[in-house]
Amino acid sequence: LFRLLKKLTGRKQKLKRVNIKDTLDNQANQKNQSVSNNIDKNIELVKKIYQFPNNRDVKFREFRVGGTGLRIAIFFISSITDVRTVEDSAIKPLIQANDTDVKIKEIISTQNVTTMLDIKDVVTNINTGNAVLFLDNSSMAYAFECANFQGRAVEKADNEVLIKGSKEAFTEKVIVNLSLIRKRIKNESLMSESVTISKRSKNEVFMLYIRNVANDQLVGNIRKRLESLDVDAIQSLSLLEQYIEERSLSLFPSILYTERPDRAASFIEDGHIVLLMDNSPDALILPATFWSFFHTPEEHYLRFIFGNFVRLIRATAMFITIFISAIYIAVTSFHAEMIPPDLLLAIAGSREKVPFPVFFEILLMEAAFELIREAGLRVPNPMGPTIGIVGALILGQAAVEANIISPIVIIVVALSGLTIFTISDISLNFALRIIRFFFILAAGLFGIVGMTSLFAVGIFYLVSLKSFGVPYLAPMTPNYVSSGDTIFRRVLKNEKFRPGYLKPADLKKKSDGAVK
Amino acid sequence: MKQTEGKIGIREYVAIILLTVGTKLSDDTPTLLYSTAKNSAWISMLLIGILAIVPMLSLIKVVSVHRDKNLHELNLHLFGKVLGNILSLGMLLLGLSALILDSATYVNIVSTIYFTKTPSIAIYAIIMIVCGYGAKKGIEQIGSAAWITLFYLKTTLALALILSFTKGNLKFIFPLWGPGTKEIVKTAASKISILADFYYIGIIAPVVSTFKEFKKGTLIAFSVVVVEITIAIIIYVMLFDFTSIEVISYPFHEAILYISIGFLKNVESIFLPFWLIASFIRFAFYLYLVLVLFGAIFKIKEYEYLIPVMVVLIVFLGVAPKNVTYTIPYLREQLLTIISPIFFILPCLMWLIAKIRGDFKNEAKKVL
Repeated sequence: LFRLLKKLTGRKQKLKRVNIKDTLDNQANQKNQSVSNNIDKNIELVKKIYQFPNNRDVKFREFRVGGTGLRIAIFFISSITDVRTVEDSAIKPLIQANDTDVKIKEIISTQNVTTMLDIKDVVTNINTGNAVLFLDNSSMAYAFECANFQGRAVEKADNEVLIKGSKEAFTEKVIVNLSLIRKRIKNESLMSESVTISKRSKNEVFMLYIRNVANDQLVGNIRKRLESLDVDAIQSLSLLEQYIEERSLSLFPSILYTERPDRAASFIEDGHIVLLMDNSPDALILPATFWSFFHTPEEHYLRFIFGNFVRLIRATAMFITIFISAIYIAVTSFHAEMIPPDLLLAIAGSREKVPFPVFFEILLMEAAFELIREAGLRVPNPMGPTIGIVGALILGQAAVEANIISPIVIIVVALSGLTIFTISDISLNFALRIIRFFFILAAGLFGIVGMTSLFAVGIFYLVSLKSFGVPYLAPMTPNYVSSGDTIFRRVLKNEKFRPGYLKPADLKKKSDGAVK
Repeated sequence: MKQTEGKIGIREYVAIILLTVGTKLSDDTPTLLYSTAKNSAWISMLLIGILAIVPMLSLIKVVSVHRDKNLHELNLHLFGKVLGNILSLGMLLLGLSALILDSATYVNIVSTIYFTKTPSIAIYAIIMIVCGYGAKKGIEQIGSAAWITLFYLKTTLALALILSFTKGNLKFIFPLWGPGTKEIVKTAASKISILADFYYIGIIAPVVSTFKEFKKGTLIAFSVVVVEITIAIIIYVMLFDFTSIEVISYPFHEAILYISIGFLKNVESIFLPFWLIASFIRFAFYLYLVLVLFGAIFKIKEYEYLIPVMVVLIVFLGVAPKNVTYTIPYLREQLLTIISPIFFILPCLMWLIAKIRGDFKNEAKKVL
């Protein structure tokens, strides 16, 4: 109750201090009119809305139609419009038209021409890169598609690297991304609904799912959550993720983020929902389970044994990443008796001149490693190798020679730092990096008992998590009909069910043995 | 196969029982049997298993006609409001005492064998906070946690037992009848409450997704647990022989101190975390049972808020006894002796009353 009161009073104060002036409302009022019969009035209004000519890339041209001699005005934003199309398909044919009795729609030769009655729609069209025509003595405006936003071409995936399998990655243009997915799923049931999620910037999200596979309730639930957002601007999916995820303060992610169209497509085929957006070279997949963060597509592209071998290595790596530093602390400071005598003497010998307790030593090295990692990421390209050399040299060799840390600690920390890179998902990667420090702390305080306690709490927490109603560790527990793709995967022919926890409309995806 | 909210499937249910009852082989329960039945303790254990079938089956039979009632509601239904409440309250007290004594035993194990310098109240506090967290999450989460860890816990246990077996001497289990059949039967009769958990699971009977799974799960878990504990008891005798086993408080931990794996001579710290996780799940489950029962008797719906109080209570009552190594086993033995007849008679009585009231007939009619 106290916290609630505090929250309420805090909010009030904030509101008072901030000067609230809703300029968005003014903007909306201005364009809340219908297209006028008088062309001059329309031109005036649109010019006012766009602050023409101060707004340099807004273009306006007025001329007369060839045959009829009617006045016509054309508006578009040159930076997001294909100017060639505007010239060749609209202005030129209009000026050169001879017929006195032909309609505008018949003269313009773009793929589609729409008519509008409201200024609001006119503005939306101009903003999305289309050109708009006003005609004298007509209360209708015409828009034709000629948008051309700049972006890069389809490139190789940088962060989710595979040896075997498709190399394409999503780009910043949502149309390209959609095309990459449609290329993989040639099915008319593949829906790409769009939802506008922000008010000022009008960011649009595409919701992809297969209509007769995905659960309707789930689709409705996510659509509702997207529609209920009340924000001025959401630039990209990584920001959107934080608006729609369920537990903002949790260490564990609940939405999967991928830059690979093949991965997104395979999730769509399983009944998941994929979100795409302009400006985001990636896709959001939801709901997500713990296993989807743990997997990469490669394990399915590789043959059964190889794929599972990779999984085994990754599971081991995950274990090492979280526990190795903590185990070293716990064993050397609480359970020294379990180390074989020779090794114990070696450790003691190497630690002889080190003035710090093991706990501090490990913490120091782990922190140093995180520093190098972060610096290495932010460093400008030409200086990259320098940082690597300096980091490795100073923190490895010199620290040992200066008797600040023992050589064994370097092995331990290098192992824990290296193994984390087997987890390719960035969110889980971060979660594990942070969890590692918790375990180090627990081990420093209570040895193996402390670590085990933290682990038990972690398990209780993990099994209580849900992502859009799907238990985090499903289908392992609670049990559902599924292809059993958890730590290990089955032979591909036997993976014949879609995950039951999504409650898909069609559960079976292949027949027994995958043959007729 | 669809799972409804707040229910657990058969896997989770079996996993919970396997961990809660199965863990008993690693505390001082075997010692209680050895003290009177000597090297024939395993026969007593088997006998207990056979005897316990009677109350267990009666309970399942009673539950079969009242599928949506938990144990407290059954008590109210069968014994009337006053007597039912008194019975449930008695069960609550016995359950809470068992929880306190058992957890004190486990803390004693950790603090005497592994963490001799750490004050036991610190260890107690940590263990109970973790269990309180688990109990707060609820039965689904306890079940899921049990199922996820079950495989690893049982594998390491099997490894420890197999290693002990290779070190043991099979001749130590003879003479087969040990101190005589009379002693063996007496031990079995007075210690039958080792399996009293199978009475308390009636509290979560309506939480298991279907009655069929409850019945099947109970029977599977029951047979596995009895066999498991019996084998463990045989292996301890083979390892230590009967005269020394009587003075060993915690045979499982002595056994893992005794064995070695290849170049690793002291492996007890490898088994410790697995055993600890099993204990966490066990006490989280016990705590959950006690809280649900408490909430049902005193009509408290949001029992989660009781957890901090209960945890503090358990910790302080648990560390209260002086000279833990002697007091707790003594108290535990007393408690087991008290519960034994209750555990045997009560379910049978419930069945009898249900029979007299004609519940079974009504159910048969309903089915027709």
